[in-house]
Parts: sequence; structure tokens; C-alpha cells
Amino acid sequence: MITGQGITKTFRQRGSVLAGREVKALRGVDFAIKKGGAASFIGESGSGKTTLGRIIAGLESHDAGEITIDGTPMSSLRPKQRQPYFRRIQLIHQDPYSALNPTRTVHQTLNAPLDLRAKGTGRSRSWVEGRAEELLELVGLDPGYVLPRYPHQLSGGMRQRVVIARALTVDPEMLVADEAVSMIDVSLRLGILALLKDLRERLGVSVLFITHDVATARYIGEDGELYVIYRGQVVERGHVETIISDPVHPYTQSLLSAIPVLRGLEQPGEEPVVPTEALDEGNHDAGCLFARRCPFRTGRCESEHPVLGHAEGTSQEHACFHPRRRSVVAMPAGRA
Amino acid sequence: MTAPTIIPGAPGGTRTTGGARATLRRNFWRGVGRVLRRKPSRMLGVIILAVFAVMGAFGPLFYPAQLPRDNNALYAAPSLIHPFGTDFEGTDVLALVITGARYVLLTGLITAVIAIVLGTGVGLFAGFRRGRWDSLLMRITDMNLAIPGLPLLLVLSTVWKFTSAFEMGLVLGLLGWGGVARSVRAQTLSLRERGFIEAARGLGLSTKHIIGRELLPSMAPFIAMNMLIAVTGAVYAQVGLFFLGVLPFEANNWGVMLNLAVFGGGALTTTAALPYLLAPLLAILLLTLGIVLVVDAMDEIFNPRLREE
Amino acid sequence: MFLFPTKKAPAPEREASSPERTSLPERSERSERSERSGRPEELGGPERSGRSEQPGGPERSGRPAEVSPPGEPEKAFPGKKAPGVRVSGLSVVYRTPAGELPAVRGIDLELVPGTITGVVGESGSGKSTLALSLLNAVQPPGRISAGSVEIDGLGDVVRLGGDALRKARGRHIGYVFQAAQNSLNPLKTVGKQLLDLGRSHEVDDLRELVRDAKELLGRMGMDGARVLDSHQHELSGGMRQRVGIMLALVLNAHLVVLDEPTTALDMITQATILRIIREVHEERGLTTLVITHDLGVVAEVADRLAVMYGGRVVEQGPTMEVLGAPRHPYTQGLIRAIPRLVGDIGEARALPGRPPTLGTIPARGCVFRERCHLRMAVCETEEPPAISRGEWIVACHAVAAEAEAEGGRRRVAAGTQGSAKAHGAKGEQG
Repeated sequence: MITGQGITKTFRQRGSVLAGREVKALRGVDFAIKKGGAASFIGESGSGKTTLGRIIAGLESHDAGEITIDGTPMSSLRPKQRQPYFRRIQLIHQDPYSALNPTRTVHQTLNAPLDLRAKGTGRSRSWVEGRAEELLELVGLDPGYVLPRYPHQLSGGMRQRVVIARALTVDPEMLVADEAVSMIDVSLRLGILALLKDLRERLGVSVLFITHDVATARYIGEDGELYVIYRGQVVERGHVETIISDPVHPYTQSLLSAIPVLRGLEQPGEEPVVPTEALDEGNHDAGCLFARRCPFRTGRCESEHPVLGHAEGTSQEHACFHPRRRSVVAMPAGRA
Repeated sequence: MTAPTIIPGAPGGTRTTGGARATLRRNFWRGVGRVLRRKPSRMLGVIILAVFAVMGAFGPLFYPAQLPRDNNALYAAPSLIHPFGTDFEGTDVLALVITGARYVLLTGLITAVIAIVLGTGVGLFAGFRRGRWDSLLMRITDMNLAIPGLPLLLVLSTVWKFTSAFEMGLVLGLLGWGGVARSVRAQTLSLRERGFIEAARGLGLSTKHIIGRELLPSMAPFIAMNMLIAVTGAVYAQVGLFFLGVLPFEANNWGVMLNLAVFGGGALTTTAALPYLLAPLLAILLLTLGIVLVVDAMDEIFNPRLREE
Repeated sequence: MFLFPTKKAPAPEREASSPERTSLPERSERSERSERSGRPEELGGPERSGRSEQPGGPERSGRPAEVSPPGEPEKAFPGKKAPGVRVSGLSVVYRTPAGELPAVRGIDLELVPGTITGVVGESGSGKSTLALSLLNAVQPPGRISAGSVEIDGLGDVVRLGGDALRKARGRHIGYVFQAAQNSLNPLKTVGKQLLDLGRSHEVDDLRELVRDAKELLGRMGMDGARVLDSHQHELSGGMRQRVGIMLALVLNAHLVVLDEPTTALDMITQATILRIIREVHEERGLTTLVITHDLGVVAEVADRLAVMYGGRVVEQGPTMEVLGAPRHPYTQGLIRAIPRLVGDIGEARALPGRPPTLGTIPARGCVFRERCHLRMAVCETEEPPAISRGEWIVACHAVAAEAEAEGGRRRVAAGTQGSAKAHGAKGEQG
């Protein structure tokens, strides 16, 4: 179980003291991911979702808030002591090309962390070799083919599978997949998503999926939780299927409306929400953060800041003064 | 079993077990051969460097410690016996070039090794650790870069004779690591943001592993190139020093030859000493050419993708 | 090659080096089609302006003359409007250590004037190479080895060279490069780059050009003056993409090629850009080609769709029809592999195998057979025949067999005959 309370992160842009600009990447985000559970962070680039994922994986520090891993608050530990905790959370990079060392074969890449574990637990060399093959088979690769090869000799999809196999060498509790399929060929993406889903079901690894594409989030698991993040704040949260079918926050609705409709197969939703253009809203912090782009804003939105809370009679939470269900998602065309 | 993926079966995909490392090494050298053969100029470069290496290692063995003089043939013109003529004492110029190579090359090599080891070490450590260590090491580097080399050598030459190539190389190396450190640090800073370094840290791999096995190999072409270029730099520096007459003529050296040809033989005004001047110049030129030709292959040698293709 | 009665014979060396003998049946099929449609004559004619499905057409038709100052070369094409493009038998090869390998092979594609055509393909499908061929801009080690790209008002682009080609790019063909977000010069303001573009194309009235640029930017929802004064880093990804589109259109090109226009953009920005592409396309009366790996992009924006795989067009036709009932197994698999928001998740499937690379594209037979569940023996050896049903063309043996079984369409028979003939001819040669 991994939880976070009030995670805050501000980036100070480097440069002269006078020109230093602050960017609020995260503004007090709460989350909880159960053991073996699935969650997705959805948002545009710059929403802070990637930063949050990196903080969870222990690759970035945060300014305020608490991360608790299996009941242990991380702030109570010294950096060295945190390492074994964060090792249970492995990040799968967006770009499988840079995530693998081009000068090392898959064999070398997998053996390094396995050797370390073998040394720590007194296991033998043959365990290392066997485990490497086992893991490659687990991610759907042929060890005989893949092991002696360098990353450039593999396709994008295979590389991402190797990256996943490498993450599995430390028996992680959670995989954080940051746009893990966006650089992979379209016809192979679903294979990677299915693999993550499968690992979750078979190994009980929880999966945190970070993406701007809501549709891919659906494939990690129907019981998954969806966090819609806008400018460092969670604006809507709930079950994947609920949020897709009944979004109430205008930002969530904008995201869903923006997903291309496969005309011929589907027809557009009835009330698509198109946000107004985002113009230097970076510095605008008063009231609802989305107000300036929201087509439904009122005076209250400009002055008051909405907090995440339960909508009446639903399981989902939202941060909007004027929640309303709109059918924005495409529907199957009336064929057949 | 798991994901429904079909991976093309590997015809002859070797299973890597015990002999994996040996196989890798064999493949590496096979790749190096391939890269060199790709362009004839690279082969030429390798041959030139090999000739110089042999010259430096075994050259002096073919000649007596004191090269024979011939008072009847002072500044003799090039002939079959003396392909580059003779010097002011009637000593064969070719013999001088060959016996002088050892000092020059050894100095170059020692300089390069010291500069690269120091520079790479400092650059890697500063770039990887960042923060306070980075600031400290970079200030030291700046100081190193700010040392005026020539005046320092002038001062040093008054107390030190530089008879052995090692002393010379040590001084030049200690003077020359700053630039390498700076550029290695810059490379490290950009590499450490790469996904695979981050992943290695996330997996809990040791710093030793990350620096030695992940960072260094990625920088190998860069370091190798710097090393070769440092050799040329060192050769120029010492030859220049001897040519200027800053250092005492204890050793047989290309720079000494240049000095004597110009100031003693008046090679710039008369033709008699011209071969005496041109022979060491030609040697330096050839050495530089060989290095430049080989540098061209470095990128492909250390990049598995370019190597295998 | 003699099967193209409407075209001039290609240059002899092209013909000699053409590896395209085997794909003759496919082409005979298509050339027949283009003959039938007889577009070239139609296009030059004066009736063209009457195209009904082009909103804003009439106002636009006067525009070029109005905008261009007198004496401009533009004047030479007073009626310059959405041109038609006919790509036929196009092959592009790349020189590699393993010999010349085809990245694009025997492509026949027609861009109907005033429509948006979407080309979809994964990595290695040759879609970007195809886009570059429209400008005759394939860089060495690649070269166009066969075929022609006829653009109305320009002729065969493949035969253009030097200055004529340079002028054609920009004035006739606007190109928005892949990752246009990053293709601006970081050291110069957008305005400076616009002026550079104007000067290199010898535009006399640069003020006019700037006014046009501002108008275009304004049309795309931006403050033109401010954008022209900005450097690349001051603009967001979506804004840069719009600047790219502006630079492609500002010289009044009426054929626009957009290579991956929305890659690396967020969903909402992507939707905005696609809307802009659609609107600008209609307002200015363009012929547009969108190259993308994302079927969703094509579904949103394109009237017609061509699916590429391994350097071939495997299926093409009206977007709605193709997406509604894809016939080629690759198109079917691709659609099934796209995560959707609605419907049963369990139905989605990844395509097995992986897309071919330049070196692994099969030299004979169907390029998709490795990953195809309908694979038959004939797929190994024979180029799939092109089966057309109206504007809808599919190149697949399985579809051909099915069509034959359905009642034997005449053209299928013709295709098979042609294929047999071509095969025989090849055998003689060998």
C-alpha cells in the first residue's frame, strides 16, 4: 500500500535571482494505491503527473507532504534508509530507447541487478542466469534471441518489454508506467498494456499508469482508479469506468471530448466540451485553476478555490462548483 | 504463456552463459576490424601508428648508443645510405629520427594517460555527484586551466633536466587535464539524466557499477578521441619546448633536431640542412595524420550499433 | 511501363533499374482506374471553381490574385486552386550495405483536389518517404527509383530539379515537417524566419507577406503580431505547430503535406490543431495530405484514407467506409489494436509480430503475411492483386479470393491474369 498526502512540489527556474520564476508542479496531491491495485494519473503535459510519478518512484524530492510505503512514512527515514522502500517501486520510462544502455547487451542489463540480489541472498550464478531467462519469458520474449543482443537490435516493443523485465529483477511491489506506450508502434501498444495488466493479475504487482490518453488507462484494469490532474491539482477522481461514462468536471470532459472519434465506427458524444485557449494561465492562481479555460465558469469560479470532495450520491470525487454530467464520449455508430 | 506476443525465432541465437564475456570480447574485436576496414584511410592510420609504435619500442635497439659520425659527410645530401642526409656531425638523420621517436612518443603517451585518467576521474566524479563536490572540483579545474604552461615550464627547466620522458610527460599531463575534466563533466551531466542511468539508480546498483559499467562505456569514444588528441598536443608541446631551446639537450629528440637544423645549420637560409629540418617535421606530420585518421573510427568502434552494421 | 498510356515514358535509366516488374498487375488495375476518372483534363478546365462541396470556395477563388502584388509569378496561375496529385508506380530505394532496399514500392495514390487524404502507417511503413517524394525531397542514400508524381500546374515533380523544384516547394507545395514544433530556428524570431522564407522565394512585397502571415495566425486563434515577435521557446507546442502550418501556407501553396502534425501534442491541443487543419483546408481550398501513425487523427480529419504497410498501400478509400468495415487484415488488426473508450475492452487485441524494417520487408509476395491470420500459400510468392470497389482499393489475396467466390468480378480476373503474365515475364528474364 502506497499513499501520499498533500504532496507539493515547486520548481524554481534557474537563472538570476531576479528572473527566477516559480512553477507549481504539484499543489497538495493525495493518493492511495492498494497492493496489487491499479491507478492512472491523467493530464496534459505540464500537469505535474510525471513529476508525481517520479516522486513516487523516489527519483525526485518533494517540498511538502508525506509518502507512506507499507505504513512507513518516508519522512521518518534518512535518505539511505529510504532506498530499499523506493526500490519496490520501479519506473518504466516513456522512452525505451534511452532507458536501455546502448553499450550493454540485454544479458548484461538484466544480470547487473540480479547479481546484486544473488550476492545479498547468497544465491548462485546459475540462479542469476535462470532468473534472467525466466523474466524474459514472463514478459513474452524469447531469451535465446534477446539475451545476447544490444538494444538497437530490438524493436521498440521488445525494448519496452526488456525494460519491464529489468524492473522485475528486484521483485517490485509497484510499476510506475510513465507514458509507457506512447513511443511504441500502434499495433504493438496493446501488447504492452496487456502485459502490464497480466503482471498485475499474475504477480500481484500494482500498476500506476501515467498518460494523457484516457483510453489506454482503461486497459490496465476495470477496477482501477483514475486521477485527473490539472496544473498540479487532482480535479476528479474515481473508478475508471465511472469517470469515462459519467465525468462531471469540465476538464475531464474536455480531455474525453478531445479523443479522436473513429468515424464510421463511432459517432461523437452529444455534448463535447471544448475548452477555451490556454493563454499565460501559468501565473493565474486565484479561484479555480481551470476557470480561465472553462466554458461554464461563473463569478464564483474566478474568486473561490474548489476543493476535491464527493459528489452527492456517487463514488467519485471532483473539484468543481458546477458539476454536471455530460455525455462527451464517442458512442458506437448505429451499425449492425 | 503470458502476453500474446510472437517473437521471431532466432536462427543461431547463442545462449549466453559462461563464455558470454569471451564471446563479447571476440565480437568486439571482430567489430573493430570491420570498422577499420570500412574506410582505407583508417587502415592507413592504424598502419602509421603501428610503425611509430614499433619505432618507439624497438628503434633504438637497432642502433648503437652513440650514433656513428662521419666527418667526411657533414650535411650530406640525401642518398641511398642516408635517405634524409646527415646532420652537422655527419650522423644519419633517419637514425636520429628513429632513435628520437621513443622519447617523443613515450612522453606523448604518458602525458595523455595522466591527463585522461585525471581529467576523466575528476569530470566523472564532479558530474555524477554534483553539488558541493562539483563546485570544488570545478574550481580546481579552472585553476588548472589558468596555469600558464610555458612560463611554468621555463621555471621548471631551471631546476629539472627532463632527461627522462616520464618527467616530461608527468609535467605536461599535470598541466593538461583541465580541459578533459571540463568536457567529461559536461558529458556526465547530460548522460546522468538518461533513462538508463536513472533506472540503474532506481534498481539500487552501486555507484561503482553505474560509473564504471554504465557511464564510462558510453563515454568511451569521447575519451578515446580525447586521448589521441592529447598525444598530438603533448608531442607539439615538447617538440616546441626543445625547439625553442628552453630545455637542455640531454636527450635525442625531434625538437632538438629542429632546433639544431634551424639555429645551427641555418636550414631556413641554405638548402644543405633542409633534409635535417624536414625529416623530424615529416615524422610529426605523419604521426598527427595517423592519429587523425584513427580518431575518425572511434565513434563507430565504441558504438555497438555502428560497429555491427 | 507500356501499361500507362496516359503518361510519358519514364526516363530510361529509371525503367532499367526498376525492380517493379512483379507489381504490374496491381498497377495495371489502378492505371485503368485513373484513366477512367480522367482527372487531368478536368482539373485544368474552367468549370473547376464550381466544386460544390467546398465551402468558402467562391470567395477564396479570387484571393490569390488579390493578395499577390502585380507582376508576381503568382499571376501566372490566376486560377490556382486545390491541385490534384497522382502518384503512380512510385518506388523509393535506400542504398544500404545490403544493396538497394525499397522503402516505398509501387505506390499508386490519387489526391483528389480539395480533399484531405490521410496516410496511416507504423514505423517503417514508408509513409514519411512517400511524403518527401511529393516534394522530390528524398535525401541520399535514398532515391526515387521509379514512378511519377504528377501535380496539377507543376507536372511530374520527380523530373523537376534545381531552381524549379525549390520554387515549387513553398509556392505550390507547403510542407509541415515532422516535429514542426522543433523545426523553427531557436535564434531567430518567427517574423525573421518568415522574412527569410519570403526573400528566398523572391517575394517582392514582404509587407504583404507579413500581413498574410498575421491574418493566417489570427485565423488560427493567435495574436499574429505577438507570435511574429516571439522566439521558438516562447511558444507552446501547439502554437509552434500552428506557426509551422502558417509558414507552409503563407506563400499561397494549395497543396499541403503535414507529416505527423500532432505527434507529441496533448489530446486537447491535438483536437484543436486537427480542427484548425480542417477549417483552414476548407477556407483556402486546399488539397491536403496528412501523414500519421495515429488512425484516430485520420479518422477525425481525412476524407480519404490510405493505409501503408512495409512500403505499400494495402488499403485505401473513403475514410468512413474503410473504418466502418475494413477489408484488409492489417487495417482490421490496426483498428482492433487501438484502445477505445467504449465497447468491450476484451475485444481489443494487439497485432502479433512486429512491423518490418527496411531490411526485413519481404522482397516477394505480400508484405503483411508474417503477421496475417488469413495467410495462404500464394501470399508467399505473389504480389496481392488490387481489388477495387468504387474508390475503395484493397491489396490482399484473401480479399481477392473472397471477391472471386462472391461472383467473380471482372477486374479481379483481369488482375490475376496480369499477375500471371508478369510472373511469366519475370521467369523469362531470370
